[in-house]
Amino acid sequence: MEKTNKSLKKTLIAFIIFLIVVGIWKPLALVYGIQRGGLYSLIGLPLALILGIVGILNLAHGDFLTLGLYIGYIFFNSWSIDPLISMAPLFFILFGLGMVIYSILIRRVLKAGHLNQLLLTFGISMIIIELIKIIWTTRPRSVYTSYASSSVTLGNMSIGMYEFIYPAMAIAVLVILQLFLKKTRLGQAASAVGQNPKGAEIVGINTNVVYLVVFSIAFGIIGVAASVMLPRTPVFPLSGNPYTLKSFALVAMAGLGNLNGILIGGITLGVAEAIVQSIPGYEGWSDVVFFGILIAVILLNAYRRPES
Amino acid sequence: MKRIFLVMMSLLMVFSCALAAEKPIKIGAVNPLGDITGDQATKAMKLAVKEINDAGGVLGRPIELIVIDDEMNPAKGAAAIERLATVENVDFFVGGMGSGVHLAQVPILKKYQKITVWIGAASHQAEIAMGPDADWYFHLHPWDYQQGEGYGVGWTEIVHAYPNVKIEKVFLAYEEGAFGTDSYTSYIDLYEAAKRGEGSWKEILKEFKGASFKSASLGGGDYRAMLNQAKAFNPDLFIWAGYDADAIPIVAQAKEVNFQPPLFVGAPPGWPADFGKNPLSENVILYGMWAPTLNEVSPVAKHFYDAYVEMWKEEPATYFAPLGYTNIYFLVEGIKKAGSLDKNAIIEALRTIEYESPLGEVLKIEPSRIIKNQGFKYQKILQWQKGRQEVIWPLELATTQLVYPFKFGK
Amino acid sequence: MKKTIFPIITILAIVLLIFLPYFIGAYLLHVLMTIFIYMTLALSWDMMLRTGQLSFGVAGFFGVGAYASIITCSRFGFNPLVSILFAGFFVALIALGLGFAVLKLRDIYFSITTLAITMVFSVIIRNIPKLTGGASGKVIPNVIFNGDSAKTYWLILSLALITILISEMFNRTKIHFAINSIRNDEIIARSSGINIFGYLLFVFIISSALQGIAGAIYTQQYGFVSPETTFSLDFLLLPMAMALVGGIYSTWGSVIGALVLGFASEYLKLIMPYGHLIIYGIMIVLIILFLPKGIYGTTKDKIITHKIEKKSLSE
Repeated sequence: MEKTNKSLKKTLIAFIIFLIVVGIWKPLALVYGIQRGGLYSLIGLPLALILGIVGILNLAHGDFLTLGLYIGYIFFNSWSIDPLISMAPLFFILFGLGMVIYSILIRRVLKAGHLNQLLLTFGISMIIIELIKIIWTTRPRSVYTSYASSSVTLGNMSIGMYEFIYPAMAIAVLVILQLFLKKTRLGQAASAVGQNPKGAEIVGINTNVVYLVVFSIAFGIIGVAASVMLPRTPVFPLSGNPYTLKSFALVAMAGLGNLNGILIGGITLGVAEAIVQSIPGYEGWSDVVFFGILIAVILLNAYRRPES
Repeated sequence: MKRIFLVMMSLLMVFSCALAAEKPIKIGAVNPLGDITGDQATKAMKLAVKEINDAGGVLGRPIELIVIDDEMNPAKGAAAIERLATVENVDFFVGGMGSGVHLAQVPILKKYQKITVWIGAASHQAEIAMGPDADWYFHLHPWDYQQGEGYGVGWTEIVHAYPNVKIEKVFLAYEEGAFGTDSYTSYIDLYEAAKRGEGSWKEILKEFKGASFKSASLGGGDYRAMLNQAKAFNPDLFIWAGYDADAIPIVAQAKEVNFQPPLFVGAPPGWPADFGKNPLSENVILYGMWAPTLNEVSPVAKHFYDAYVEMWKEEPATYFAPLGYTNIYFLVEGIKKAGSLDKNAIIEALRTIEYESPLGEVLKIEPSRIIKNQGFKYQKILQWQKGRQEVIWPLELATTQLVYPFKFGK
Repeated sequence: MKKTIFPIITILAIVLLIFLPYFIGAYLLHVLMTIFIYMTLALSWDMMLRTGQLSFGVAGFFGVGAYASIITCSRFGFNPLVSILFAGFFVALIALGLGFAVLKLRDIYFSITTLAITMVFSVIIRNIPKLTGGASGKVIPNVIFNGDSAKTYWLILSLALITILISEMFNRTKIHFAINSIRNDEIIARSSGINIFGYLLFVFIISSALQGIAGAIYTQQYGFVSPETTFSLDFLLLPMAMALVGGIYSTWGSVIGALVLGFASEYLKLIMPYGHLIIYGIMIVLIILFLPKGIYGTTKDKIITHKIEKKSLSE
């Protein structure tokens, strides 16, 4: 325990030094990186939760995010409800959707192994995308709020404020999740199930209830992420799809069960991307940096702790 | 006896002719039905076929349209051509959209060499793949390099028509995929030509710069690094070449970084559903082939628009709808003029007809860089004004005056 | 008796497949070619899976193979067939190098790393336009065999048959036991003296090379490459779906899966122009819920239990 604390401290210190250096070198890249990285973390958290505790590889993760965006769009378009207000109903709607999806589909493949879960969620992803295309066509839709493009002028820099909501929400969600997992009985049970499902069952924990609750909470967080993104994001059938890969990348980088790592990893990747994008002529290489860092971290972790 | 035989023979011939006359002329279309462009192009094609058949068909025979979805997948698009050629036995190919799918179809089209009229695939790679010998191939959509050239013509005319408009520095933001990069390469060529005092941009392009971004439709959506570069360059004309999903976030983020070029131009293949409703859209300029406002200046456009809305109970939203309509009519006019289904006669006819299209201008075939039969050359310059796309150039089709310069928050 | 029937059926099937171009039209042949390409990808992915390693790198090796073939063809004037073989060797070489780094990883760490490598390949290729044509891609003036369907079909058929043969060899020789024991329990496998890394590397190289060759042939068939279409994740997701729908850890599972999903997607679209992909998705969901071991796996299990029941009854 002490050892992990120490390594966490080390990582944190290195992380903060990294941010300070970037801040001095390229302040705008730091701002954009923290904002984007916050978004990656916010979307990555529910995936990490599901993978870490329920053990499901959800390939439709990003498509449920898309669905959330469309629901938020309906709230705005039909009843003029601001996306930040529709966050509450969106949380519960996706929470409910999570319960339904878990009970009807996921529960049946819990013991069938990662691969069957992968294929099941691939099928779900396909159904969601194609249904959306039929209902709303491929034309993008969007929500206009004046605050989403507001900014503060600092010298000759004009800094957008809205996207700071991403890292803020990511931290809030992370803190609440940690409190839930450590302080509530259900949360403690969930942590136990995540670490050792068979052991937890022997101790008398009803894994099915734990899975159901965790899965639905994760879906609720997807709803929250969708509503915060909505003022800045075009809504179309593939809006959320690319985030599935990004979220998987974050989870692999942080390591299974490491929720704090999602935040640190997300912001590191966001800032690294932003640095590359700010160098004229090299914008196109930002993906290489994203995936390069990911591969490097995974390999480093693997070689630092052999046989684990 | 002989006479009876002759009478019978001639009766038989008349009878079989009548039978042949009822046999439809088959046109095979390959479109991406899951995408709004392919969906609306298909609907417009069906509208054209219905109109032509209601008016008695062509050469006394009705037309049958067989549509296959390409799912935006190259192998599927190629297999669809094989099916149309060998199973459905169509006489002609039409269709369009993505260049990637079309590149895979080119070898198959070459195998059958049936008359093909295509409305998609703007990439010059498709022209290279098709090569100079395919005299049966008609390509209606402007190639990527023609579009850049056309805007040079357009902006030069606009600068002359509006004395207050000044263009010297141009900045192009392009999405990093094939679509954006091809526009960038063609602008670089045009810039090199302008420096030598050649080409359509020679009068107005003094300085040029470009930067790429990752389109929101491919998982990007943060344009601020690129916009900061553009702001530092301080262009008179700012163009972004991306997809419909980028349209609103680019304007919103330009406002955020306080980047306000006098001419703010978007060049995506389609526009988002609520763009006109968004306050940030006011006076944004767009490149496109068609806008509903053409109804005010072109009776053909108005007829198409009304007929489409009546048949499908929805508004045509992309220029691929009028292009799909044009696709069928152009081919049928060619068959009509040729007077038979003879391939060479139809090719000859298609090369000489002038079809007044719902896109506002007259469609005429001319050679392009490699192929012999190229249709439209240029796109139009349009501007969002009060939620409507108004035509600014070509000047003779203009529906209103250009509002200049562009400003946020009016 | 069973031992003699099986080879005869196999030989008959192969002969039938070889003479198919004389009986069926260009359209069906084209659909079959696409299915065989996907079958090769599914089967080679499954070969790696049998060692317990879930690879997400299929699209990456496929794309690199495609580019290797097109570039050697257009730049260095290789004969298309030679360029296809070269692509196989080139991808094998890359797999050898990468293998040393990534084959120590397990579970999702291996999967995500192979997927990240796919992305890195495509971004690098997009950013070196002088060699690769960049984002815009590259076109060759003539497709392989000048577009002759039958010859292209035979080429793709041979690739599929070779892949099936290799897969069967893996299943019937002693490699099979090594591979299975790695998947089932790595620690026991290690303690019984199996060179785990050696086997993993061997299978990784072979399966990647097959994917590279599939990419090379596919791209020679259509005559172009572009990062967006050549590195499409369809070349990862569809083969995986096919192998799982058919049944993993077996040769015939992938073969059946590729045929079922391949023909289904083609015919669904003809019956139902709009929304056919929804039905396709529902089909996948239903198969995974009700035939969790895939079509082949579940049927085989049923037959085996049936036989055991019969046996116990007769005893």
